Amino acid sequence: MATINGKDIRKLVVACDAGMGSSVMLASTLRKQLGKSGVAVEHTPVNSIPADADVVVCHSGLAARARLVAPDKPIVPFQIFLGDPAVNRVVKAIQQGTDLNV
Amino acid sequence: MASSYTPEVSGSGFRARVQKLGGYLAGMVMPNIGAIIAWGLITALFIPVGWLPNESLAELVGPMITYLLPILIGYTGGRMVHGQRGAVVGATATMGVIVGADVPMFLGAMIIAPLTAYVLKLFDNAIEGKIRPGFEMLVDNFSAGIVGAGFAILGKLGIGPVVNTLTNAAGDGVDWLLDHSLMPLVSILVEPAKVLFLNNAINHGVFSPLGVQQVAESGKSILFMIESNPGPGLGLLLAYFFFGPKSLRPTTPAAMIIHFFGGIHEIYFPYVLMKPRLILAMMAGGMAGVATFMITGAGTVASPAPGSIFAFFAVTAKGSHVGMILGVIIAAAVTFGVASLLLGFGKLKSDQEPDETPDETADDPESSRKENA
Repeated sequence: MATINGKDIRKLVVACDAGMGSSVMLASTLRKQLGKSGVAVEHTPVNSIPADADVVVCHSGLAARARLVAPDKPIVPFQIFLGDPAVNRVVKAIQQGTDLNV
Repeated sequence: MASSYTPEVSGSGFRARVQKLGGYLAGMVMPNIGAIIAWGLITALFIPVGWLPNESLAELVGPMITYLLPILIGYTGGRMVHGQRGAVVGATATMGVIVGADVPMFLGAMIIAPLTAYVLKLFDNAIEGKIRPGFEMLVDNFSAGIVGAGFAILGKLGIGPVVNTLTNAAGDGVDWLLDHSLMPLVSILVEPAKVLFLNNAINHGVFSPLGVQQVAESGKSILFMIESNPGPGLGLLLAYFFFGPKSLRPTTPAAMIIHFFGGIHEIYFPYVLMKPRLILAMMAGGMAGVATFMITGAGTVASPAPGSIFAFFAVTAKGSHVGMILGVIIAAAVTFGVASLLLGFGKLKSDQEPDETPDETADDPESSRKENA
């Protein structure tokens, strides 16, 4: 368990298997929600998570792979693609500058 | 690798490795789906049995499948391993397997291109910092040229013929399954693998290379329709809408739209993973869909990717539309029926909440490990 402050997140990466389908959908949702915060939201294949990502969001079924690729990144696994509480907590932490446990 | 941020993952190493290998195969094909669809549309329109038979335009079909698509895959595969230089030698080496075989060399490209790029990468790493200033370009260009030429020759003489045999054997296997009406059994393997996020690996790593070969031979293929049929996912989401845990019911209509019309199948996987017994419903629906496609002789001319009903309409071969629609509807209906039964028609008290509520799972790493295992 570690804590990252929402204010320290400059770049949020949504990862999925191919980086072309579900991650694009979730990234566009998050981009809308985080529009005002200035946080960059990117979508990538889980095998190529960029080095400058501050936090990585991916489905729990892919979390093991994300950890292999980016062992030092905070990874937020989620269960459902629409309105998952884990994802909502990330959004809230960024918007309000509060701490996020990952 | 465990750090304060990332608790050690347990029990999922094998799955992660299989996913990674599969992701690699799919990663070579998926960026090129646009070109595959372009080829599929041209094939569907202009071949003699197509919508608008045109001998002159049909001349595009052969060179595109023989050269363009394998070279694009080889280029992408090389790029994944070693950037632009890897892409160039990957495409070059792919030319060797193309000329060394008489079937579309998707599989050959997926083997030789990353291998060639990897050899160049080893060379580049070995000489890094050891080149005299001013000679970098000379060394770079000729190392790539020599590696590319070497592997093109190796591809022509060695790898091409071997992969040719393998591809033909795999094609014969598919024909055998079709001849013996066993194709629906493939769903028993495909549906569970799909919800474990091996969907792209199966569809684009396995079915696409075999499917294009079938299209080149007979103008359509059922293989593209096995994994990508949006029917079972729709049936599952409908069952959740009527009989699922009450807390999840409101999320399903949006999920249905994204799944069925948008073609993002990943959206339904969590609903299966939450109640793993529902995989039986997915298998039953998948088998019913494949059986319908098989009985009606339906096929598509390219991979409907993403697996949206719109993509299905666009790439379904001429004369296969009725079978396609039937297969999607029957798959959805069967999955809905079995899933509803497994959900006890909403009457099982224990089922009114998901086995693991998303909230708990997100808060508690233990339960997400369970989920991963």
